[in-house]
Amino acid sequence: MNKRQVVLESISALLIMLFLYASISKFLDFQRFIGEMNNQPLPNSWTPFLVWTVPSLEIAISAALIFERTRMVGFIASLALMTLFTIYAAAILLHFFEYVPCSCGGVIRKLTWPQHLVFNLFFVALSVMGIILQRRSSFKSIIITKNSFV
Amino acid sequence: MKKIKLSIMTLAIALSIGGAFATSPNVTQTCQSSTQYYFNGTGYVLAGTAGVNYICVGTQGTCTYYKVGSTYVPCMPGAYCNSNCRTAPTPKTKN
Repeated sequence: MNKRQVVLESISALLIMLFLYASISKFLDFQRFIGEMNNQPLPNSWTPFLVWTVPSLEIAISAALIFERTRMVGFIASLALMTLFTIYAAAILLHFFEYVPCSCGGVIRKLTWPQHLVFNLFFVALSVMGIILQRRSSFKSIIITKNSFV
Repeated sequence: MKKIKLSIMTLAIALSIGGAFATSPNVTQTCQSSTQYYFNGTGYVLAGTAGVNYICVGTQGTCTYYKVGSTYVPCMPGAYCNSNCRTAPTPKTKN
């Protein structure tokens, strides 16, 4: 196992931990999650859709990151979701919405909005790193496979 | 190599599932799942449904409380707001 693979496995593990923890926590106290979602400055009509879509997406991303074949899809989906969360946190900090809600809806509930932003940016960076490393290792394995046929 | 991969993944899954259960309010405490109250200056009043009857704005102070026995314990952070919750515009200052 070379250094790049260890880093790739560690990035996957960190993202799996984040998404799996977040989704299970939401499902374990679903009523609270609905309340937190209603408290966000988004239309309440979105709540029934979001309370099922967000945790389901998080579980799907975790599953994709576990397996080698679907890992690239997992990294891309993780980057997309974390970018959305980051934009949302930034929009709140920039007073884009009518009010600043409590930061109680996050993974780590005690974080403030600026801390949430930094936290999200860290995982965006991890997802980007994962995509780059995964592309390189896939490219390398293609070359190795090609050479073995020569 | 596969063993190391498997160990890392198993550890990540076990930690996230274990962590979620350990920090679950069903296991540790019940806060937002309980009936929410707010302090209106004189006493504690039923807050209603979050997002419908009220919202918690900002991060300063205590927005809602929940009852443990006869004591009201802080639950949601922020300021309680049930009407006209728009953020006040930042006052402009002269240079």
